Amino acid sequence: MFIADIRKDFYEVVANQRVALLVASDIDALCACKILQALFHCDQIQYTLVPVKGWQDLGTAFLEHKEQFRYFVLINCGANVDLLEMLQPDDDSIFFICDTHRPVDVVNVYNDTQIKLLIKQDDDLGVPSYDDIFRDDDEEGDDSGNESDEGSEPSGKRRRFDEGAVERRIERQRARREWEGRRREILFDYEQYEYHGTSAAMMFFELAWVLTKDTKDMLWWAIIGLTDQWVHDKITHMKYVTDIATMQRHVSRHNHRNEDEENSLSIDCMRISFEYDLRLTLYQHWSLYESICNSCYTSCSFKLWTLNGQKKLQEFLADMGLPLKQVRQKFNSMDMSIKENLRDVIEESSNKYGMKDIRIQTFGVHFGFKNRFLASDMVHAAAALLESTEKDESDGDNFIKALDALSRSNLERLHSGIDLAKKKLMAVQQTVASCICTNLILSQGPFLYCYLMEGTPDVKLFSKPMALTLLCKYLLKAFVHSTRNKRCKLLPLIMAAPKDVDKGTVIVVGIPPESETSDKKNFFGRAFEKAAESTSSRTLHDHFDTSVIELKSEDRSKFLDALITLLS
Amino acid sequence: MFCEKAVELIRELHRMSDGQLPAFNEDGLRQVLQEMEALYEQNQSDVNEAKAAGRSELIPSIKLRHCCLLRNQRCITAYLYDRLLRIRALRWEYGSVLPANVRFHMNAEELQWFGQYKKSLACFMRSLGAGEGLDITQDMKPPKSLYIEVRCLKDHGEFEIDDGTVILLKKNSQHFLPRWKCEQLIRQGVLEHVVS
Repeated sequence: MFIADIRKDFYEVVANQRVALLVASDIDALCACKILQALFHCDQIQYTLVPVKGWQDLGTAFLEHKEQFRYFVLINCGANVDLLEMLQPDDDSIFFICDTHRPVDVVNVYNDTQIKLLIKQDDDLGVPSYDDIFRDDDEEGDDSGNESDEGSEPSGKRRRFDEGAVERRIERQRARREWEGRRREILFDYEQYEYHGTSAAMMFFELAWVLTKDTKDMLWWAIIGLTDQWVHDKITHMKYVTDIATMQRHVSRHNHRNEDEENSLSIDCMRISFEYDLRLTLYQHWSLYESICNSCYTSCSFKLWTLNGQKKLQEFLADMGLPLKQVRQKFNSMDMSIKENLRDVIEESSNKYGMKDIRIQTFGVHFGFKNRFLASDMVHAAAALLESTEKDESDGDNFIKALDALSRSNLERLHSGIDLAKKKLMAVQQTVASCICTNLILSQGPFLYCYLMEGTPDVKLFSKPMALTLLCKYLLKAFVHSTRNKRCKLLPLIMAAPKDVDKGTVIVVGIPPESETSDKKNFFGRAFEKAAESTSSRTLHDHFDTSVIELKSEDRSKFLDALITLLS
Repeated sequence: MFCEKAVELIRELHRMSDGQLPAFNEDGLRQVLQEMEALYEQNQSDVNEAKAAGRSELIPSIKLRHCCLLRNQRCITAYLYDRLLRIRALRWEYGSVLPANVRFHMNAEELQWFGQYKKSLACFMRSLGAGEGLDITQDMKPPKSLYIEVRCLKDHGEFEIDDGTVILLKKNSQHFLPRWKCEQLIRQGVLEHVVS
């Protein structure tokens, strides 16, 4: 069930209890977890935090902890499956789920005792009404997913032999069949598309605010959580702008509160500010030139993978009147006179080159005097740490590292994350360029398809879901900019990359079509399931996003064929 | 000769920073004792001679040797006493079971002394707190908060805290626990205190 009052129904329930936090590995979940941890520290609520990577992890983590805990808080996982069915918990385990994955499973929505959803209901959920999907008749309780209720007609007590009863029964069976047909339709409509709702970090920040325990650190984490959704293209632009406005109100409230302090800039102060900043990735920690080359927005607009694009970039730089020597050196060391009104200069020139949205509403933070970060810098750094492929470190280690990088005291870790992020972005850029130039993207009819061969440079990096999704989005944008085929511009993209060479598996990601007005709703989750079912391919639907799956390499072609027939 | 060895012993101890216990320098100690023995024998013979022959010119050298003897004695006692202080501090820092590498640096008598000290401290702590006992080695400085955030560095299995709840200490999981429950495990290197 949805929780109406997050303070009363969630926080006051778990206060003075021991809580298990199961946290998915994405940046938003990390931020939400940070906020919740800070709250728990305030109130001395004992907890155990366990990172979970997929459904299997979630299952084992639950098994290991179900004896010791009654309350489980699931962050960014668990809402979009029938959790009770999957985990088979005892009757007294209670799950609080704060998840951005939509649609929320209907059983979770209508379970009043064990499942509590920390999800805002104004999120346009469109949950079907109770009567449409559950029917409490005869001896079947509200236990739903039971498809075989046909055969469970009353046997013993209702054996009556008069004519009327038989007729009535036939009538009733017909009505039920009709109802069931309608139910399937409704559920299909409801579950067809996968999308994301309000960020978990923002939910918990709101809780902190209601408890009047919010701090600047928490606010910053909430902002990072929101920015993660934007960077990884999970929400619509409209939603992003609305949520940014919400955060902006909190930011001005916090800044206002400290305004009268005498020395507002000290070495250990933290100052969050609203920025209308450039969409150039990591530019403050890179050189302007490299940032332009490796940002998705600019590189796609210029088509930097072509010779013409490179020329255009040079023209663009000349148009801005920035000396090449300055542009190529570290941003920090650029002339102050150039930096002063850099954003306006770039915006002006970008407008001429057809890049109208080079600036975007976001937030920046100052730690002390020296350290300045944009919210997107933090997201890229944390994501790179989370999916780092260096030195064969386990996922758990990476999780801890990313979690550490988010706190203010670990700047060194954050900087190492930024370095990793640069490498990752360059790898993405190079892969996009090589895929476009060698025409690796094939139109399969209902969708586009691209397979990264084993042996492609940096292929190991793209065996991780977040990195591959990012590559996917960049690639589709670049493809839309480069292709002349009008029909292809409206197609979604499926991408596969080798996951584990020894096991012979590939990771497959599907993303929705790229367009200005895209609602970011993804239908590949269901499609993958159906295709796998019909061909009995050996797939693993372990990831919390249903549109990311693992597949045996040998089954790839038959899986794709099934997908094509399914979607066309 | 003349106390150099003894001062060397003191220096060696002085060079180690506070709280560290260097290996017991048995060799050095023996050399000092040999020196003392030699000095004593020389004195003895000189005294006899001075008494018998009335050679009063021997007396200053006897006095010098005697001073050296006393100094050596003081140095050795200081050496041993300082080590005891360090060993006592170890009890407060590491708890009653010392790591093997520290035990290795102690000699038999020191080990015995440590055992006795341990016993009398335990006796004292048991007598406190109205029959329940009180661990006075804990919270030497008042803690900032009762609970701390810890991170598991290795799979340790289940860990029962004294109110009966069991927690699973698995690698890379994080816990928010009462400080006094995890201090021991932090010392053992199972947990790591997360300072944020």
